[in-house]
Amino acid sequence: MKQHPLCTDCEQSPDVMCMPIPAGLKQEWAAIETRRRFLGRSGKVLGWAALASLLGEQGLRGDTAPQSGPDPRQALKAPMFAPKAKRAIYLFMSGGPPQMDLLDYKPNLAALYNQDIPDSVRGTQQLTGMTAGQSHFPIAPSHWAFRRYGKTGTWVSDLLPYTAQMVDDLTIIKTTNTDAINHEPAIMLMNTGNMNAGKPCLGSWLSYGLGSMNDNLPTFMVLQTKVNDKENNQPVSSRLWSSGYLSSEYAGVGLRSGGDPVLYLSDPGGVDREVRRKMLDAVEELNRQTLTEIGDPETNARIAQYEMAYRMQASVPELVDLSTEPQSTWDLYGPEAKVPGTFAYNCLLARRMAERGVRFTQIYKRGWDVHGNVTGILPILCSETDRGCYALVTDLKRRGLLDDTLVIWAGEFGRTVYSQGGLTPENYGRDHHPRCFATWMAGGGVQPGITYGETDEYSYNVVKDPVPVRDFNATILHCLGIDHNKLTFKFQGLDQKLTGTTPASVVQGLLA
Amino acid sequence: MLLWLPWIFPLNGKPHANWEQFLGRFHPLVVHLPIGFLILLPILEIAGAWRSALRETAGLVLSLALAACLIALTLGYMLAYGSGDAGPGVVRHMWGGIALTIGVLACVLARQSWLSGRQMRVYPLLLVTVLLTLVWTAHQGGSLTYGSNYLTEYLPSPLKQLLPGSATSDAAPNSFYTQYVNPIFDHNCVSCHGQSKVRGGLRLDSYGQLMHGGHDGAVVIAGNPDQSLLLERISLPQSDKHFMPAEGRPPLKPEEIAWIKAWIQQGASPTATSISGVLITGKSQDQTLKPVGDYSSLIPKIQQMASRQGAKLVPVSSTPSDGLILSTVDAASSFGDAQLAQFQEFAPYIVEAELGRTAVTDAGFDTLATFTHLRALHLEGTAITGAGLAKLRPLTDLDYLNLSGTKVTSQAIAPLASMKSLHHVYVFDTPAQPAASSDANQLTSKGAQ
Repeated sequence: MKQHPLCTDCEQSPDVMCMPIPAGLKQEWAAIETRRRFLGRSGKVLGWAALASLLGEQGLRGDTAPQSGPDPRQALKAPMFAPKAKRAIYLFMSGGPPQMDLLDYKPNLAALYNQDIPDSVRGTQQLTGMTAGQSHFPIAPSHWAFRRYGKTGTWVSDLLPYTAQMVDDLTIIKTTNTDAINHEPAIMLMNTGNMNAGKPCLGSWLSYGLGSMNDNLPTFMVLQTKVNDKENNQPVSSRLWSSGYLSSEYAGVGLRSGGDPVLYLSDPGGVDREVRRKMLDAVEELNRQTLTEIGDPETNARIAQYEMAYRMQASVPELVDLSTEPQSTWDLYGPEAKVPGTFAYNCLLARRMAERGVRFTQIYKRGWDVHGNVTGILPILCSETDRGCYALVTDLKRRGLLDDTLVIWAGEFGRTVYSQGGLTPENYGRDHHPRCFATWMAGGGVQPGITYGETDEYSYNVVKDPVPVRDFNATILHCLGIDHNKLTFKFQGLDQKLTGTTPASVVQGLLA
Repeated sequence: MLLWLPWIFPLNGKPHANWEQFLGRFHPLVVHLPIGFLILLPILEIAGAWRSALRETAGLVLSLALAACLIALTLGYMLAYGSGDAGPGVVRHMWGGIALTIGVLACVLARQSWLSGRQMRVYPLLLVTVLLTLVWTAHQGGSLTYGSNYLTEYLPSPLKQLLPGSATSDAAPNSFYTQYVNPIFDHNCVSCHGQSKVRGGLRLDSYGQLMHGGHDGAVVIAGNPDQSLLLERISLPQSDKHFMPAEGRPPLKPEEIAWIKAWIQQGASPTATSISGVLITGKSQDQTLKPVGDYSSLIPKIQQMASRQGAKLVPVSSTPSDGLILSTVDAASSFGDAQLAQFQEFAPYIVEAELGRTAVTDAGFDTLATFTHLRALHLEGTAITGAGLAKLRPLTDLDYLNLSGTKVTSQAIAPLASMKSLHHVYVFDTPAQPAASSDANQLTSKGAQ
């Protein structure tokens, strides 16, 4: 290569450091060189064998010649032991549903209206900034009546008439508890097992641990429900379905709640599948060259995601095409389910995803953060979600999918029995409450028709059988055939797990 | 002198000093030496007919065998005495070992006269007897360690049927004890408290033995769980010295302890079929999966199928014997009867066939009938009419059948009623769907669910 005219001080053949290019680029190149030297090879930075071991064993699916590249999603393929459930659908109620108004029946509270909750019950519980300044903590009994339903005689609030119809199929947990008192840490804890950001979420761990069932759809998909501005909506961000330090192809793939489910899914005019395929092959070739030069495993994730996008061009339109659904579907889910973005629609999509072998689907419904005007807003929230939950479980059950699908309904914490702000006979507010909240599961692996755990008469403390978040997550992993202690990833010197460093255990009382 | 050992140090089921147990545990290691020497011996003797040097070596090997026998015998005795093992299996193995050692000693003595040509038959006969004793004793030893069905557990089923059946039970076959309590003991306790090993003089492998108790007396007092030693021991914290099951075995599950407690409370009956207050929710049905056998030689072919077909065989879990799942979701519309037939060579290993929304038709039932270990069959959204459903009758493990969204009629599914294992049948959105409520969308046979 001829010497560059501006390069006056290089006698030998010019290399990057001598070229008149910005210092930042030179630094990047130096970093790459360092990595190459560190990995101790010249030319090919990583042998294919080393790459394969980086991404985990290939197992039964096997990879063919290195040219085609190992499918990184197939790392750690099989469940550790025979699972009851193959897939899970997580209905996340962001904001924190009030347990005493929905599933935790406390008839004694009616007599305690407006009385302060005893300090002995509250103990040293840290309060949020929103109620810490209150001088009184008056008890607000639930505005709604509860009735008994099903063969199990479970008490369910009048706000959830549909959920009440399926209590015999549910595993209700009254004593889920957390340590976080505010949304972001609490929702991170529920999803990733840690209050701090940066850890992989449950779906990513499942994707990493179990691999994919369907090559044409992402292993982990996220559906967001359209926001209702009347409700107090807390933010839900993509770091909740992030893969953290796991390879980024384990991150959740979100479908949009309005318009096209995936942007730019269809090829533009003049470009057909063949052309698209050739283009992708060329890009992949370039990416593989980069992979060989630099050896960043994320490049492989990128290759995989391009491939997935290509396949989704065909599979997603089929997934969201509801024209083939029989009338019985609309009878069950209600007419709302025809409107993209509603909770009922998302539940229907989740059922379709389950049929098509999507390993983990998570649906977010925001707005449960009822700090005030509970009597006004809670009925709206329930009417938006109750029928969809019932429809999903019933639809899975009648189609024979509930046996091997685990459905989970949970928020990030519960709500206080005392009123936030003014308490009147007509209305009240509730602040965040971590010590006990109600969740439920249904389907493969969990025992139907039971209510697990007991809270005290104020729905404030757990009296029997607490289920901390790490145990909740450990149980979910167990239902899907994973030992939570054994699904690890070495990062920052620690064998990281979803359930974190505090010992967690599977809640045997929930299992079938 | 060796014959006197059992009287000087009786094997009475009580454990003794730790050092005896420590040394004794080398017995399983050391015992392979005399086995090796004694097997080598006849080979050398016979080969010695052609090369006389080998015959000299045989003499050395025999002496080594005797020394090894003595050491192994001593260590074995220490093991049994130290750990308190007793029981017919241990006793048989012990006498076998003693007889073997005496036999080897006799061989040493007889070999002299054989070599010198005086008595040509004694030594070979002794040698054969020693070898037969060796096989028998070694088998006893193996059974002690691994259980008496170790060699036959995975015997292919046609051959297995030739074996004599197991001991008869002394409790009613459909009793709570036989169905739930006995399996708990079988799984957790009988390896030390059973027919071949009787620690503490206590056997837990049958009702009579359970109630009889052991050296510490009765361990179950009917109607009185608090005084029942068995219950006390299994309820101790795991770190306690007297905790049972011993030797680091996992504790019984809380509900298992609760079942035993309730059973004892209500009279520890061998005939009662249910215990009030105990709701068994069908858990025990699929507790352990039937192993499907070894398909490791077929793995390269399985990988090829995946890359060729689109449909793939996926393991149920990381335990290969749990079987394979036939997954067609990636190739659904192009997967028909012909493609299904290509999986026939893997038939006994497939425990679940996901054929939903494929092009499989009634003709596919012939292939499916060969999937002998099939537990779950998905045929939702296919073009089947159900005409061949009766062909599935030989599938005695089939538990789940999904026919939703097909054209099956009530007549077509009638043959399924006789299949005892089939507990989950789904006929949603078919002509066979019952008209009434959503509960009835799912048929169950025998009402078991």
